[in-house]
Amino acid sequence: MSKKKILLVDDEPALTRMLRLNLEQTGRFEVREENHGSQALRVVREFRPDLVFLDVMMPDIGGDEVAEQLKQDPALSGVRYAFLTAIVTKRETGAGAAEISGETFLAKPVKREELLAVVDELLGA
Amino acid sequence: MSNPSRSEGFSPAPPGSGDADPARAACVLLVDDIPSNLRVLYESLNGHDYRLLVANDGAQALAIAQRARPELVLLDIMMPDMDGFEVCRQLKAHGDTADIAVIFLSALDDAADKIHGLALGAVDYVTKPFHPQEVAARVAAHCKILRLERELGQRNRQLELVQGRILHSMVEGVLGLDAEGRARFVNPAAERLFGLRAEYLLARGLADWEPMRLRESARRVLAEQRELSLDEIALPRPDASTVPVEVRVAPVVDAGDAAGVVVVLRDLSERRRAQAKLDRTADELHRSHRELRAAQLQLMQAAKLESVGRLAAGVAHEVKNPLAIAQLGLDYLEQVAGADDVSCQVLTDMQQALARADTVVHGLLELSREHDLALRPGAINDALHNSLQLVRHELTRRQIGVCISLADDIPERPIDADKLQQAFLNLLINAMHAIARGGTLMIHSSLCALPSHELGPHARDAGFLAGDPVIRIAIEDTGPGIDPGDLDRLFDPYFTTKRQGEGTGLGLSVTHNIVRLHGGSVELFNRAAGGACALVLFPPEAAA
Repeated sequence: MSKKKILLVDDEPALTRMLRLNLEQTGRFEVREENHGSQALRVVREFRPDLVFLDVMMPDIGGDEVAEQLKQDPALSGVRYAFLTAIVTKRETGAGAAEISGETFLAKPVKREELLAVVDELLGA
Repeated sequence: MSNPSRSEGFSPAPPGSGDADPARAACVLLVDDIPSNLRVLYESLNGHDYRLLVANDGAQALAIAQRARPELVLLDIMMPDMDGFEVCRQLKAHGDTADIAVIFLSALDDAADKIHGLALGAVDYVTKPFHPQEVAARVAAHCKILRLERELGQRNRQLELVQGRILHSMVEGVLGLDAEGRARFVNPAAERLFGLRAEYLLARGLADWEPMRLRESARRVLAEQRELSLDEIALPRPDASTVPVEVRVAPVVDAGDAAGVVVVLRDLSERRRAQAKLDRTADELHRSHRELRAAQLQLMQAAKLESVGRLAAGVAHEVKNPLAIAQLGLDYLEQVAGADDVSCQVLTDMQQALARADTVVHGLLELSREHDLALRPGAINDALHNSLQLVRHELTRRQIGVCISLADDIPERPIDADKLQQAFLNLLINAMHAIARGGTLMIHSSLCALPSHELGPHARDAGFLAGDPVIRIAIEDTGPGIDPGDLDRLFDPYFTTKRQGEGTGLGLSVTHNIVRLHGGSVELFNRAAGGACALVLFPPEAAA
């Protein structure tokens, strides 16, 4: 079984690196990092991930806007999205991820087990 | 009854009729059983501007007097059937005729008779044989006296009327007491003040006046002949109430002797009412001032919270990314690091440090977000119970006993269960931190009337009044209690008495905010038995 592909989009390189390390460590995922929201569209089309993690607040473009544009593309209809945010508090997202207006949100700081649980749920593993 | 016109050819004039008219000529009734005497009398007076009537026996005289009301009767004493004395007695005995002046006519020149006649009320005495001029002069003199008396009487009545009107319409109560202190006069205002009708007041002697100060003042004024004032005395009334009055007692002097006193009573109730109203207005003003000041403080507090909230949101956001990096880095290292004990301990310590930092940041964000509630009908007891569950483990670890009693008659009301749970959690954590090992945490809820001693400043701000129905939550501990110097600052954001790293100083302000958004209040105070009590009050119904 080929590895599922995950793209991590956050303007904080250290954070995408930590996310990547944790995901890769399971040996189940192929992971790429992108630290510019504006580049995300290009990278998605190129990398064809199964799941995209998007930071909601980035300097150039918001994660929600990136997702909105990607969803317009029929070719990318199978891609799943999850949002990382520092604004939503833990209580509002519940123990792990929370669905807010149909989207999956993860509140920072994210713990490894929460991260993996969300990934498994979205990728139907 | 016979008619004077039938008396032996003497019929001088038709008998008069109608009441005495002060403007017309004086009416004189001549009474004698001997016609010749009547004629002499008649001729003596005829032509002197009198209206003359005659009667020749007593009964006839009384009948005419009754009907014509003469001013003057010349009355013969010696008459058959009814003598002049008896006629006079009967005239004087009837109110209608008592004022008629009587001059006796008699052949008798007897001092005893004269005295008898005068004693019966006669004004004069003429002895026979008459001298016409004497008769005319005496009649003229008495008519003049009568006229003057009548005028004087009228003048007096007028004066009395005017005086009466003045006294009657006076706002002040007026009492006239005679030299013995007996009431001789009261006006309607006095009746109103004493709450007694005039006849009761007029029956009073000096000793009957209450209160004592009024009685003693009257006595002193009677004795010393000097005016006296009493600022304010309470006048007792029959219904056991009192009227506040100002009193002036003035002596009434007649030819140098004390004739009595006049007591003037002024009702002060109106002034009192006005004063009370003024006091009330002043009170209201003070209260509004206090409320305004409280509102201002609250506004300042709100402004402070808001700016803190904005700052908190910014800081939280900035801190969360580094926290996330550290968290995931640690999680990664735990997966890959070698299992040596020291490394494991380091990783555990770092995890705990991160968790603490996250709690602080979490608190900051909560503070910045406590503005709206997601209200749903729910049980406050459930929120309380759930928050207790979150600290159960820690309480057990610290060997803290829990004594819980939740009333089952507390109605559901709109609440934000999550936020309330957090509010209670903060209070439970504070209590837990205050309690030493082996202490007790007491949680109590009830639906009751708010006792006045529990009406604290926050409860007052929330609009509670003593006796209001409230949902009352008390979280009490057996810790050392609150330092009195800290009481004022407990609810300030970032104020904490806990060790560095143990508390954010936001717990109480967050709790306060959440409870306040529910229309309730939180108060902290020291228990008489030691330890602190957090008292949370909610109105049973959410405000509209």
